Amino acid sequence: MTSLSYGEKVFQFIVTVFLCIISVIAIIPLISVLSISFSSRLPVELNLVTLWPKGITLESWTYILGRSDLWRSFFITLVSTLIGTALSLLITALTAYPLTKKEFKLGKLIMIAAVITMVFKAPLIPYFLTVKEVGLYNNPLVLFIPHVLTAFNLIIMRTFFKEFPAELEEAAVVEGAGYFRTLFSLVLPLSKAVLATLGLFYAVVIWNQFQHPLLFITEPDWFPLQLKIRQFITSDNEFPIVGDISQLNYNARTLRAVTVVFSMIPILIVYPYLQKYFVKGAMLGSVKG
Amino acid sequence: MNTLSSNSLIGHLQKYWPLYVMAIPGIVFFIIFKFIPMGGSIIAFQEYSIFKGILDSPWVGFKNFNLLFESPDFYRVFTNTLILGLLKITIIFPVPIALALLINEIRVTLLKKSVQTALYVPHFLSWVIIAGIAFDFLSINGMFNIVREWFGMESKLIMQEEGYFRWIYVLTGIWRDAGWGTIVYLAAISSIDSQVYEAAVIDGANRIKQMFYITLPLLLPTIVILFLMDLGNFMELGFDHVYNLLTPMTYSVGDIIDTYVFRTGIQGARYSFATAVGLFQAVIGFILVIIFNKLSKKVSGGGLW
Repeated sequence: MTSLSYGEKVFQFIVTVFLCIISVIAIIPLISVLSISFSSRLPVELNLVTLWPKGITLESWTYILGRSDLWRSFFITLVSTLIGTALSLLITALTAYPLTKKEFKLGKLIMIAAVITMVFKAPLIPYFLTVKEVGLYNNPLVLFIPHVLTAFNLIIMRTFFKEFPAELEEAAVVEGAGYFRTLFSLVLPLSKAVLATLGLFYAVVIWNQFQHPLLFITEPDWFPLQLKIRQFITSDNEFPIVGDISQLNYNARTLRAVTVVFSMIPILIVYPYLQKYFVKGAMLGSVKG
Repeated sequence: MNTLSSNSLIGHLQKYWPLYVMAIPGIVFFIIFKFIPMGGSIIAFQEYSIFKGILDSPWVGFKNFNLLFESPDFYRVFTNTLILGLLKITIIFPVPIALALLINEIRVTLLKKSVQTALYVPHFLSWVIIAGIAFDFLSINGMFNIVREWFGMESKLIMQEEGYFRWIYVLTGIWRDAGWGTIVYLAAISSIDSQVYEAAVIDGANRIKQMFYITLPLLLPTIVILFLMDLGNFMELGFDHVYNLLTPMTYSVGDIIDTYVFRTGIQGARYSFATAVGLFQAVIGFILVIIFNKLSKKVSGGGLW
């Protein structure tokens, strides 16, 4: 590393300060909702709350965490994300594995079909009618079944399987292991990296999805988290104010803030542990060609 | 393969049936969720009724398309789609490149990591949350207006005003995804041979010059591929993104094809008409992807497929 000239040091200093400011700006809206969620009604109504909560109280949190419908939505989303991710990985692996075998005569056809789904997106209405027709309307299965396979992830997994050392697989076949056993007890255990990365892709899609539930779930009992939050933050009569308003320490705005923060918590908890896989995923996503 | 007699086909399947069994769920999935809906697009040429089904609904030729091209609504949503698409590729697209070049200049590892984390996190929030935060932040009592008050400015309702909708779209797009977009560029930068920089230093290039005359040109292939891919996805503005930011006050500028199809088709149950709109969009999207994928292959040797 060569030493830097005075001008370069100034340049680096300016760049660093600039990026720190940008990062702070990116985080400010998150801090702002966080502080509102812990503030009392009065300072919020008087426009006194910015980055630090005023009149710190847990009442908004107690109210929201006491809403059983929110917890129900939370668990619907949690369960569908867990099942959906596992099922997605299983089906993606099962479909990708034969594609790496010469003996499998449908490989080319499936690859062409996969590319077609990437370039021609079926219009929304026939898709909606088809999914309805297969019985997924107002059916919680719709929260993950339509997401279990994407052409993109299929191609990524196939590419990964292709690099698997053929000698290892042949050895397994010689020992009498069938294709299923080879896949499940040899190939998959050695594919943890790609499974983790694609699993995160699927999990984030299912956790954050909004359009599918909006289309297919109209029964409030089956609302996943995102629909529930949308209902909370757009509807004015979602939080019935009972009794003397002046006695309450929260209002619609502090409650909405809690809802928003509540839904961010799970992601912020897992984020640090999974960052390296996320980064790997982003790389796969764009420099695959 | 094409001359397989029935005997050898049976022999083939006897030996390799597990491969075919494995692929069944994936094949069935593609057929049901991708290809049947594609075929179902023909209801754009029908007066589709949910009670009669595809087989018995009357055929009407191009009537729905004529209806579409005569409708002023359609031109409005089409124009809105084009404008947001243009803003996406001209303003949103370059931001990660600039950010990556700058992040690359930070020498203090801890600071670099913190900046990256701060910029990546919004990517994992759903559009419902992003929009919820935007509505709160920009509300009449939100932090944006509080800060305006400090400077003696009148408060402003940004989210409900037509003039700001597109900028909100751009800003939220940058806020959520620009940091994330730097990952690819940072990886490309880190793969540049350090000897190139060493040679430049000997020739007297300082870090600013290195950035513009080495890093940026060597990033160009990556930039071109991603730019062409973005052009191919021109029509995909993100339903969740736009829908969650929309209010009835901003329909005139924010209503795009995706949200229009949702309102006329799903909420209004005008199935055939909305399918015609969707098919129109899908065909344009298809042409764009094909063109720009070809271009990308020519330029870089790599493409979507």
